[in-house]
Amino acid sequence: MEASTEAARLPVKRNTWDRVRGYIGEYGLIALLLALPVVYGIQDISQDGSLARLGNNIVDGLSNGSIWALVALGYTLVYGIIELINFAHGEVFMIGSLVSAGLFSTLGLTASTGIGGLILGLLLTLVLAMLASGSLNTMIERVAYRPLRNAPKLAPLITAIGFSFILQNVGILWIGGSPEGIPDLIDAQKELFNIGGVSISRGDVLAIAATIPLVLLLTTFISQSRLGRAMRATAQDPEAARLMGINVDTTISLTFLIGGIMAGAAGLIYALYQTTIWFLQGFQAGLIAFTAAVMGGIGNLQGAVLGGLIIGIIQQISDNRIGGEWTPAIVFAYLVMIMVFRPSGLLGEETREAG
Amino acid sequence: MLRVRWLALLSCLFAVFALTVSACGDDDDGGGGGGGGGGSTLDVYSSLPLQGASRPQTTAMVEGIKLAVEQAGGKAGDYKIKYTSLDDSTAQAGTWTPEAASANARKVAQDDAAIAYIGEFNSGASAISIPILNEVPIAQISPANTAVGLTSDEPGADEGEPEKYYPTGNRHYLRIVPKDTIQGAALASLMKSEGCGNAYILNDKEVYGAGLATNIENSAKEIGLKVLANEGIDPKAPNFRSQAAAMKSAGTDCFVFSGITANGAVQLYKDVHAALPDINLYGPDGVAESGFSDPKEGGIPADVQAKTKVTVATLSPDEYPPEGKKFFTEFEKKYNEPNPDPYAIYGYEAMKLVLDTCKKLGSDCSDKQAMIDALFQTKGRKSVLGTYDIDENGDTTLTDYGVYTIKDGELTFDKTIQAQAGG
Repeated sequence: MEASTEAARLPVKRNTWDRVRGYIGEYGLIALLLALPVVYGIQDISQDGSLARLGNNIVDGLSNGSIWALVALGYTLVYGIIELINFAHGEVFMIGSLVSAGLFSTLGLTASTGIGGLILGLLLTLVLAMLASGSLNTMIERVAYRPLRNAPKLAPLITAIGFSFILQNVGILWIGGSPEGIPDLIDAQKELFNIGGVSISRGDVLAIAATIPLVLLLTTFISQSRLGRAMRATAQDPEAARLMGINVDTTISLTFLIGGIMAGAAGLIYALYQTTIWFLQGFQAGLIAFTAAVMGGIGNLQGAVLGGLIIGIIQQISDNRIGGEWTPAIVFAYLVMIMVFRPSGLLGEETREAG
Repeated sequence: MLRVRWLALLSCLFAVFALTVSACGDDDDGGGGGGGGGGSTLDVYSSLPLQGASRPQTTAMVEGIKLAVEQAGGKAGDYKIKYTSLDDSTAQAGTWTPEAASANARKVAQDDAAIAYIGEFNSGASAISIPILNEVPIAQISPANTAVGLTSDEPGADEGEPEKYYPTGNRHYLRIVPKDTIQGAALASLMKSEGCGNAYILNDKEVYGAGLATNIENSAKEIGLKVLANEGIDPKAPNFRSQAAAMKSAGTDCFVFSGITANGAVQLYKDVHAALPDINLYGPDGVAESGFSDPKEGGIPADVQAKTKVTVATLSPDEYPPEGKKFFTEFEKKYNEPNPDPYAIYGYEAMKLVLDTCKKLGSDCSDKQAMIDALFQTKGRKSVLGTYDIDENGDTTLTDYGVYTIKDGELTFDKTIQAQAGG
């Protein structure tokens, strides 16, 4: 008798929990995401009488987050199409930075280079860094993932980790094991303008201004071009896409090429913005960018960008208000909470499994 | 028939192997006397991070050590001295790693002929190797460690320090650089003397960085220098702009990072200088290396150099005693380097102390415990660093700290501070 009463109660408990979870997932997440800015915004107004400090945190967060967003796009593109976490992607981004820094000295770009020469030099560096990272990513796919297309999912995951370590060691051989300062070509932290106490630096403008067109170009390419449609078709059902005459292997290679190109661009922006490069920067950035992709909804391009920007802002608010030593814990606490209440991420997954 | 022959051959091989092993065992036993090797050659090891940002310093130390051995003709009394340089860093980490430090200590612990271990360079690494070598025990001399907790429970030490490093309850570790109670006081008095009223401290949370930060904070409070904050950083953070912005909002007059170069120091100083271009920046011996000071080696740019001063427990070559000046002449003659890294002399003195003590002990030098006891009885030693004692904790009585500015990427001696330890 007791057992049957218990059994009758259980579904009610689950429904209540589901309802609570759904409610929190819908509205609680918005409250959670706004908690830090709102709390510190109120504190700023009561203490300083303005929101300038919070504004500075958000601007810094958006510029940092833009770089994470570009890297996150590579993770989400690849996961969306072959459901593989390309662990080597962070290192492809690191190689983009190293190529960029190498080109600075090869092209003779210094802080005293004239504006014309600097723009031309940086554009050339951008193209070459994108090509280097794009072709590297494509090569990794050809060598380490394509032969394992029909292997158990664990196999390409291991080769991805393997390539990640190989590239880290390439980084060590290239620049050594310590963080290396490079010339501050654009005087990245120089204030360009100030809006109501919110300082916008050259680095902020560079990161945001370079990211927006790249993201728009990418989303337009994927939604409107023939190759982009092929990518989406392959992502939804590779077999059906093959039957419809799409060359699936070429499409997957193209996806890696585009992801690598974005990582190369992010590598150059990172080098200009931080003015320090390191062989481990890819591991750190990769971890953050992958978190951004999952937070936004893996496979979802807009989600990756949103996740990158949100993480950037959380990092800066935490660094500025709570203390840098707590920042990684706070970022991942956010990820855990978002995953618990919305397992498919903020904007929802776009993968074969998710439909 | 063939099988029988194989069995016979295998039996012979086993017999030879067994005899060899037992013979080796006899040899070990014969060494006796506190673990002496029994032969006429004794081993001295150094364990330093030979890769990463500290490489120039540790290379200079190894050169100093080799110079001391060469001057002694590779001998101490009747014993030949064999020196082996070990690396406690990896290229992957770019700094010391717990695995490498513990592997080095274990290797030396298993060497019956080992009489001394010079190392480590980083206090965090010594926190790993000290307990391993304490179990043997083998004399350990650090030419660079400054963390207070390695030898005493004075302010700056963590709970359980230093007892947790010495499982046997006996001491075997000593150092020839002043500990961080002295460096903390030197940094605090330097900041105050240069007009700083509100100091901001960030530390890298390692044994050395966190401990020194506490010492700086304590000394600052004693001399009336306000400390706005003493916070840890995430050494792997891509940048520290928001922390620099927080310093600006707090009204910081001067900044000091308590940590090592490999833990994000270059990026941190660049970001703080960008946010607060007019304030003075200070650093301890953990950043006194070309990986931090020289932009050609990935260090801070010229505008940041101009605002940065670093304290190191070394003096200008002109301020050393006659023995010290002689060292610089000899060093230049051997390595053709007129301006050796400040740490070269510490490597030299660590080895010289071992050799002199061994010579004094005579045949007892192979006795590990006798070596430790003799080192702890060092009193009034007239060395290249000046005259010093080793106290019962294993600390030197030297207190001089040098202040260095950075010019064209090179650490340049500025002045000496004779600091008194703060509480």
